[in-house]
Amino acid sequence: MAPVPDPNSVGGGAKRDEATTKIPSKDSKKKDDKKEEDLSEEDLQLKQNLELYVERVQDPNPELQKIALESMRKEIRDSTSSMTSVPKPLKFLRPHYGVLKEFHAKMAESDLKKMLADILSVLALTMSAEGERESLNYRLNGSESDIGSWGHEYVRNLAGEIAKEYTIRQGEESSIEDLMDLVQQIVSFHMKHNAETEAVDLLMDVEDLDLLLEHVDNTNFRRTCNYLTSAAKYLPGPDDMLVLDIAYMIYIKFAEYPNALQIALFLDNMQYVKQVFTSCTDLVKKKQFCYMIARHGMTFELDQEMVANDEDKEALQDIVNNSKLSEGYLTLARDIEVMEAKTPEDIYKAHLLDGRASSGPSVDSARQNLSATFVNAFVNAGFGQDKLMTVPSDSTSGSAGNWLFKNKEHGKTSAVASLGMIQLWDVETGLGHLDKYFHSNDNPVVAGALLGVGIVNCGIKNDCDPAFALLSGYIDNEDSSVRIGAIMGLGIAYAGSQNDQIKIRLSPILNDANTPLDVIAFAALSLGMIYVGSCNEEVAQSIIFALMDRSEAELGEALTRFLPLGLGLLYLGKQESVEATAEVSKTFNEKIRKYCDMTLLSCAYAGTGNVLKVQDLLAQCGEHLVKGDIHQGPAVIGLAMVAMSEELGLDMEIRSLERVLQYGEQNIRRAVPLALGLLCISNPKVTVMDTLSRLSHDTDSEVAMAAIISLGLIGAGTNNARIAGMLRNLSSYYYKDASLLFCVRIAQGFVHMGKGLLTLNPFHSERLLLSPTALAGIVTLLHACLDMKSIILGKYHYVLYFLVLAMQPRMMLTVDQSLKPISVPVRVGQAVDVVGQAGRPKTITGFQTHSTPVLLAAGERAELATEKYIPLSPILEGFVILKENPDYREE
Amino acid sequence: MLTVSVKWQKKVFESIEVDTLQPPYVFKAQLYDLSGVPPERQKIMVKGRLLKDDADWSKLGLKNGQKLMMMGTADEIVKAPEKGPVFMEDLPEEEQAANLGYSAGLVNLGNTCYMNSTMQCLKSVPELKSELSNYQSARTKDVDQTSHMLTVATRELFRELDKSVKAVAPMPFWMVLQKKYPQFAQLHNGNHMQQDAEECWTQMLYTLSQSLKPPSPSEDPDAVRALFGLNLRSSEESSETESVFSLKCHISHEVNHLHEGLKHGLKGELEKTSPALGRTAVYIKESLIDSLPRYLTVQFVRFFWKRESNQKAKILRKVDYPLELDIYDLCSEDLRKKLEAPRQKLRDIEGQKLGLQASAKSSSNGDDVKMTDAEGSSNGSGESSSGDQQGGAASHMTGIYDLVSVLTHKGRSADSGHYVSWVKQESGKWVQYDDANTSLQREEDITKLSGGGDWHMAYIVMYKARLISM
Repeated sequence: MAPVPDPNSVGGGAKRDEATTKIPSKDSKKKDDKKEEDLSEEDLQLKQNLELYVERVQDPNPELQKIALESMRKEIRDSTSSMTSVPKPLKFLRPHYGVLKEFHAKMAESDLKKMLADILSVLALTMSAEGERESLNYRLNGSESDIGSWGHEYVRNLAGEIAKEYTIRQGEESSIEDLMDLVQQIVSFHMKHNAETEAVDLLMDVEDLDLLLEHVDNTNFRRTCNYLTSAAKYLPGPDDMLVLDIAYMIYIKFAEYPNALQIALFLDNMQYVKQVFTSCTDLVKKKQFCYMIARHGMTFELDQEMVANDEDKEALQDIVNNSKLSEGYLTLARDIEVMEAKTPEDIYKAHLLDGRASSGPSVDSARQNLSATFVNAFVNAGFGQDKLMTVPSDSTSGSAGNWLFKNKEHGKTSAVASLGMIQLWDVETGLGHLDKYFHSNDNPVVAGALLGVGIVNCGIKNDCDPAFALLSGYIDNEDSSVRIGAIMGLGIAYAGSQNDQIKIRLSPILNDANTPLDVIAFAALSLGMIYVGSCNEEVAQSIIFALMDRSEAELGEALTRFLPLGLGLLYLGKQESVEATAEVSKTFNEKIRKYCDMTLLSCAYAGTGNVLKVQDLLAQCGEHLVKGDIHQGPAVIGLAMVAMSEELGLDMEIRSLERVLQYGEQNIRRAVPLALGLLCISNPKVTVMDTLSRLSHDTDSEVAMAAIISLGLIGAGTNNARIAGMLRNLSSYYYKDASLLFCVRIAQGFVHMGKGLLTLNPFHSERLLLSPTALAGIVTLLHACLDMKSIILGKYHYVLYFLVLAMQPRMMLTVDQSLKPISVPVRVGQAVDVVGQAGRPKTITGFQTHSTPVLLAAGERAELATEKYIPLSPILEGFVILKENPDYREE
Repeated sequence: MLTVSVKWQKKVFESIEVDTLQPPYVFKAQLYDLSGVPPERQKIMVKGRLLKDDADWSKLGLKNGQKLMMMGTADEIVKAPEKGPVFMEDLPEEEQAANLGYSAGLVNLGNTCYMNSTMQCLKSVPELKSELSNYQSARTKDVDQTSHMLTVATRELFRELDKSVKAVAPMPFWMVLQKKYPQFAQLHNGNHMQQDAEECWTQMLYTLSQSLKPPSPSEDPDAVRALFGLNLRSSEESSETESVFSLKCHISHEVNHLHEGLKHGLKGELEKTSPALGRTAVYIKESLIDSLPRYLTVQFVRFFWKRESNQKAKILRKVDYPLELDIYDLCSEDLRKKLEAPRQKLRDIEGQKLGLQASAKSSSNGDDVKMTDAEGSSNGSGESSSGDQQGGAASHMTGIYDLVSVLTHKGRSADSGHYVSWVKQESGKWVQYDDANTSLQREEDITKLSGGGDWHMAYIVMYKARLISM
């Protein structure tokens, strides 16, 4: 390290490192002693001068003192404006620090004393012992001159000492006014010198983030907010909310509305969302906001305040209602040329399996046909055409019902409902296809039609409320399969809508003693979905009563688990709000008490990354239980739910699940693959893939089934060739075991979901936002998978359709201001974390250039490769409106 | 008068006039004209409610220009077909088994894999099965009680296997087998010991050959002997023949292929006093096959008694075996002559199958054919007699055999490890019977069981004669 200070380098982004500043100082001191004669003439001169100043300072003559101090200050300032090593003046003054300190103590109050304090404050930077905060003390006693004049390192040191002093004073409850003045100075210095992260850190330490608002400006607010939002993930509540609040206010202040909206959605604060709309005056921008809200899966009513013009309001409401989602998706499909319908055989690719699978029996197997129904539904989801269900009705013998009647009893429900999946998001056409099944006299078929209506309306809102109009009439049907069809349909169609009308219809079912258990279970689940994350007390009450009314025997049923789950969904991501209900759940029958406890805890903290809750849940998994307890399953899934929010926690969770897998009991091992599936949903990480592949050959068939389903989940909508190959091999390995083969088929359907255009990831907008309805859908499936035999392999296989709540196109579609798709070149590459990085770092790496619409894989980010347009949203995902760049010039 | 627009599928019917004084049925009739959907099939949705035929317009709060949605089609209503499809899950177990294309596995009763695999291999011989099914349940005098019981148990086991889908536990059979052959009941540490499958195989065939003898003291050999037996004649004294159920494939350093092993196995060395030399000398006894069986069984002599360690050690050497085996050169002169004509015929048929090439060549080959024909006719009398002996069937042996089942052993010694059988089904598919588990296999993988590692290696292989009708 060269001892020559370099005045040009600004250690703006560099981490403060006390060691590097102090250790060399000692070294140089030793050298100093030994090799004094080695000093160059210049240095010797400087040293002698400084020694002279020290002597003069102690001179009784104030004039002389003043001159000496000023000269000393000049020497130091000349060299401390920047600091990569200990500057010479400081080095030479080290031996005199003690002398000066003593003298300062003896001095009478005067300007000179303050001046000396300033100098001592700087000297303390390298001299004071650890933890004494001398630098700060002298600073407070000093002249309060411009803080930056002593260099950056000095400011950073002060900031550190302030943080320590603050905690001590908080403990003593003494005044902090003098500190805050200093904080003001430091923050403004940092904000001016590209050190936003340090400013934010200091303000967080002294718990006064509001100060930030005064200091951000046009050049640094983006970096500041970026740092704030990323830091929020690692802060304990309620600090995280506070930090995001500040970020929101900064964004609003600088009219960066899309970002502000994002944070408002994250906070689930409707007031803020409204404010974004009222603050923004640009209609096209508002359209972009609507797209963002629609992607989040939120039910949102625009009002007069937000948009004055009725016509505009209707256009915006249309976007929020997702009514154009189907069109956009099909645009993408046509562009990528995957419109051609696929048959289940195209997915199984049995010809690659050396003729084994072709040895299939000549007689239809209901189980296999059912799996083909699901595969067909998932693969052709949203495309509006397939080769099983929508084939023209005038084909030979038996009409379009052909495939339908290749399914048995309750299998027909799933078959008809698959039409809803194929027509997903296209309500008008979908209803047309489903209509004829309403008139069937076969109850499972009617149930399927009802469920299909729910599926086709998933995430789409319509003024005419077709789903409610059609389904409400069947809620009290005498056949329970029809009832379940209608109730589940409503749950899917109105998830997250908090629709009062439905609550009025469904709540009585829960507390009716004559209702069969399965209807109650689905009603509770649907209510949970509709009121997801609402903390609605009325609904909670009815589910709690329903749970209390169950007899001992009923509590042992597999479907009973949907009651606590429905209850849990009400508090999805709502953290402390769950506490009252959790307290009530302690009074439940012990058979369900712990299950309920775990479900509530995991739902309430889902997506928060709360480390304490992760530990709680892990502790539950560590216990060795009496036989028959089933609550460890939801605890393991809960681990994944809580930890899935950010990458770091996610990786740690994958590691700790590996341990749980090794040491846990059988019922835990069964849930671990599902937890892995949730953690890496639609994100096939190779390590997880390998773990699941290993587990898919486990001797315990339930572990194997869960692993197979999870293989499907982590590859969902990716067409991942490696997983597809694994599943193909599994299909030949398990070709004789009907249950496992069914799971393999379903997983194959997942992997090729929407022919690779869909994702199940509930996180969107660069992993910031978590769509509660999407998570609710996935979690429901996972809970059902905890007892595969009685639910999915039994007669409730249609719970697989709950996944539709999480299905979203993983596309980036650019539209012009009149919402017509336009094709522009974009670069797509792996996203890079740029938070807190100096300068303007690249946000993607290893990119390729495509033209829109494009698919985005997990962890990928897009950026426009042309200057011709400006995107209205900084997050290039889903629908993005482009505005022509007025400054663009054709080259 | 209000006007509304109605959305139906992808169409929108703009500004339809609604006469609020008339019942909604009239409105539906209007829509019928536009869409062709009969009113009773129309579902019209107004703000989360369905429009009833007799509803009161005023209560619906309809606004001018409101958008309604209609659902409904003129499509035919789906009716279930008269006769629903039959599902595999609904079929009785037997039919499910038939659909599977191969029979069930056998449950391991504790180190009984040697027995399971042996029985699966034997079961693959349809002729044996039919002989067994003809077997009388009543005991005849010339069969002892236990042999009779074992034969009946075998028959019952085969029957049960054909019926079921799930693995069968061969408990009755196992009890009888132990009774008949107490060596299989040996215990070691309280468990049944692993046994040599070859021993089981030989004993089973012996028992069956005893009990399946024709009732009258006729000249005909018993059914088992007719199927599996073959006569060996040592070349030196042509009169001495030996009847065996299987050939041995000896494994030495030179043997890399089944054929070499067989040759080796037919050579025996014995020491006896030579009258010519006046001292003991090593005689080489070379046997040749004198008659061919329908099913040729070959045992790989992989186990030998190792004195040092006092156990049956295993030779892991890789010995390839073909899917199609020609044992022409192991046959005696007489037999070879008999085989000439059928072999020629077979070649011709195969040539024809190959198509034009062969037929073009056939003219030039004409002479050869004649010559062999001539040779064949000279031996005509002998051949016909042997043909009569084999039941007068019009089919002839060709000396060519096709692999039908393989019994493999995995492990380092005869008394440990695991036996598995691999059986070719009538459909041409190979099935691996690993106790209760059955799985389909590829034909290429069958020839990979030739040893040289720790994978399953062939121990007993069974070939089926390729017959040709003249």
